Amino acid sequence: MVRRRSRGFTLLELVVTLAIFGTFLMILGVLSLEMRRQERRYPVNFMQHPQVIAVLSRMRRDVLDAFGSNPYRDNAGNGKYTQSPKTLIIDTIVSNGVQTVVWDFNTPREVHRISYNVGVATEWVARGLPPDFAANIDAVETPGHPFGVRFTAKDGNGKLAIDQYLQPRAHD
Amino acid sequence: MRQRGFSLVELLFALLILTLVITTTLAVFIERNRRLQQASELILAYQVLANEVELQRRVPFADVLPMGSFTTSTDLLRPLQPYSTSIDVTATSPGVKTVTMMIKWRNGKKQAKLAIMRVDTGGGNLW
Repeated sequence: MVRRRSRGFTLLELVVTLAIFGTFLMILGVLSLEMRRQERRYPVNFMQHPQVIAVLSRMRRDVLDAFGSNPYRDNAGNGKYTQSPKTLIIDTIVSNGVQTVVWDFNTPREVHRISYNVGVATEWVARGLPPDFAANIDAVETPGHPFGVRFTAKDGNGKLAIDQYLQPRAHD
Repeated sequence: MRQRGFSLVELLFALLILTLVITTTLAVFIERNRRLQQASELILAYQVLANEVELQRRVPFADVLPMGSFTTSTDLLRPLQPYSTSIDVTATSPGVKTVTMMIKWRNGKKQAKLAIMRVDTGGGNLW
């Protein structure tokens, strides 16, 4: 019977292996730290989210086409909606006249756009918005012009991610 | 049977392949990070520029003047600190002004600008 001598790794082999492994760990550590640093520094990029873009584009059009010197009603839908930082009520021009449009940001992860045409309500809903998307609507004052809308959104860490001024345009 | 390990050439070749794979992966990862950061910065910068445009297009023509900073909020630019904003106005022809809004960050190495043309309509400025 041939007896095979069993031996472990030499010190050199172990050192080389550990050195390679250590280098890998170091690179991973540095890259992870760099990514964490960036995450902490920048807000979530909501502008890459299709639903957010859709909401912003549609709302921009409603505000830019606002009708009259004060297009912001106090309420709409027989008092169902009231103007607030989470609800924008605006009279806007559409192809067949003027409609009252309500932008409702009160439901988490959803944005509702309700338009009233001769008492008939039509609703468009954007679903699947980012869970940490916290929108706010404010007024912007430019002397000599109708109030504009300042739309802001913060991410889950409270960082300001969207800040857009929308100003009604002049119409004949 | 004679037991022997890898030859030096085999070992060097294996190390070369390993190094190439690691270097390429790292380069791709770093470049991706750099571009993501760049995109984040530009998205923030252009939102602020667009907001200032909204204001500058409504200022009465005579009041369109160069300024050392923006009038609208620059809170979005906080991650880009230190940064600077400025408005440059050039009278290109009588009754016409080119208004250029600029944001600089990373000690001026990065910049984003947006220009509009204002025309003196004579009467009250348009909305």
